[in-house]
Amino acid sequence: MELREKLIILADSAKYDASCSSSGSQRQGNFGNAHMAGICHSFSADGRCISLLKILLTNACIFDCKYCLNRKSNNIKRAMFTPEEICTITLNFYKRNYIEGLFLSSGIIKSPDYTMELLIKTMELLRYKYHFGGYIHVKAIPGASEYNLQRLGKLVDRMSANIELPTESGLKLLAPDKNSDKVEKIMHYVKNKRNKNFVPAGQSTQMIIGASKESDLDIMQKSENMYHNYNLKRVFYSAYIPVNQDKNLPSLLTPPLKRENRLYQTDWLLRYYGFKVSDILDKDNPNLNILVDPKASWALKHLEEFPKEINKCPYKELLQVPGIGVTSAKRIMKSRQYFNLDFADLKKMGVVLKRAKYFITCNGRFSLNKDFLNSHFIEANLVLEDKSPLKENNHQLELFHE
Amino acid sequence: MNKVYVYDGTFLGLLTLIKYLLSSKIKPYNIVTSDYQENLFLEVINPHLKVMNNISEIFYKMFDKATMKRVYYVFLSKEENKEIIIYYYLLNYLKYGYALHRMRNLKCVSKVLEISRKVGNEAHKLKGFVRFRELKQNILYAEINPDNDVLEIISRHFKKRLKNEYWVIKDVPRNMVSIYDKKDFYLVSGDDVKIIFDLSESEEEFSKMWQDFYRNVAIKERKNDKCRRNFMPKKYWPYLLEVRDEL
Ligand code: SF4
Repeated sequence: MELREKLIILADSAKYDASCSSSGSQRQGNFGNAHMAGICHSFSADGRCISLLKILLTNACIFDCKYCLNRKSNNIKRAMFTPEEICTITLNFYKRNYIEGLFLSSGIIKSPDYTMELLIKTMELLRYKYHFGGYIHVKAIPGASEYNLQRLGKLVDRMSANIELPTESGLKLLAPDKNSDKVEKIMHYVKNKRNKNFVPAGQSTQMIIGASKESDLDIMQKSENMYHNYNLKRVFYSAYIPVNQDKNLPSLLTPPLKRENRLYQTDWLLRYYGFKVSDILDKDNPNLNILVDPKASWALKHLEEFPKEINKCPYKELLQVPGIGVTSAKRIMKSRQYFNLDFADLKKMGVVLKRAKYFITCNGRFSLNKDFLNSHFIEANLVLEDKSPLKENNHQLELFHE
Repeated sequence: MNKVYVYDGTFLGLLTLIKYLLSSKIKPYNIVTSDYQENLFLEVINPHLKVMNNISEIFYKMFDKATMKRVYYVFLSKEENKEIIIYYYLLNYLKYGYALHRMRNLKCVSKVLEISRKVGNEAHKLKGFVRFRELKQNILYAEINPDNDVLEIISRHFKKRLKNEYWVIKDVPRNMVSIYDKKDFYLVSGDDVKIIFDLSESEEEFSKMWQDFYRNVAIKERKNDKCRRNFMPKKYWPYLLEVRDEL
């Protein structure tokens, strides 16, 4: 098979992994380096950032995960790269500045450790033979030995494993060959071993959204636990794309992109805004509001805690205001030491007044008539103002945070 | 009469003029290069200052590093009145010191922050959007069309990244070329270099593979053209191999 054809097959089968970041490493090699903030090199027709050459080593697999295009029961064309072929494409793409580095995952052939050996071989060639200093994210194979995790982790910037589904029962149903223990064993290992020479850019994971019955509460609790237990940099949420037919899979017409977006927003609230999952979701309300973003939806339920006075309220409370992000909150904190802020100043600081105006005062003044401030009126307006589908690139945001 | 001062169009020339204006306590109406528009109501003064050798050292002593970087980025911008914005920013810095950059209610501060951020953002974007073609004799060649004059900023990036390659980047609208010889890069006028656009043997193969890859990573069920154009404005597409055919 020609190299070009292999690339088409093995890029096609890798594209459902949502991870794209290339940040968090300062590696410098003879050929290439990593950029601390990460760089997007292109954007594909779906609006996602292309930063890494995202491919599989092979799309052959001995497992049969229901949601996966590469499962063994699918009758599709199979291909496999040799380690040298991966180097050739990576180095040639890198020097033309198409990519920031390599994202390599693989179906499982023969055994987890056999597959790991091939991944390690590839990385050794890249790092030792070609002195490649670009960014590498590799997916470790669940079930691999610690010895092989150790060897692989030394060679890459990020090493991670996908949890795929938030509950064990979901996994049993859709990925009968997998269990979360094997995945979490990798996470645990990476967390304990991580240093500047071992997986310097840390680890991430991914959950598929909408392939199984789990609620948003299940998903976000799983995320919260994993952030807490394994120091993950990111959890990616990937709306399920119906690639297979199966009695255990939902028959979706379109992927649940809006839900995915709300989960990302909630994830943001956990990591940067001081929220806990229990602030937003509970047994009686296990799913996020699709119409209003999670912060606004929290604020509407807690109207008694508003308005916040912009010139006085503590940082933590500024962050609770819809329309105020981390950057604008920091700017407000700095500027208000020097002068009293009013609504026009807030605009200059990047506050989205259309959303914030219901929840704040400047020097005791509201920007609109108090009589309008009831939750129905505000909710109706916030729904109209919600532009998030337009900038749905949830991955891109990472640039400014990680 | 409103006084307009002329400088030579270079960054160090601008610093020299500003130093002169600050020490003579002159408040100019505007600062322009020699190709300014004649105007009856303006008095144009060209002090023909000689650029001082140690002018950047003097400024680095008077202002902190972050301020100088911001000012330099503003200088690289396409903003029309950038010189006078820089002048007022530095003047106010002398008055308020480091606290100045928090005073966003001053026009010159919010302008400087906004413009320098735009220039920084464009430079960052281009670090990704540059597409090298491999020419015969292993020279990597790219063309770009940035809004702002970011050629030097991105050259510094590629000097680290592709330190063992020969590369050339041309800013087409400004007709400026950056040439890297595996030691350092040099910025020269496009008139002074002749580039023979002769692709290497393998160039076609890899640029085709890149285009294949580009098409295949998109998930068609998620198609979102608005989002794509938002992050990768059409303006850059003529130089992006993977999308220029879609134009
Ligand atoms: S192990 Fe991975 S490649 Fe194999 S079927 Fe499951 S998800 Fe697909």
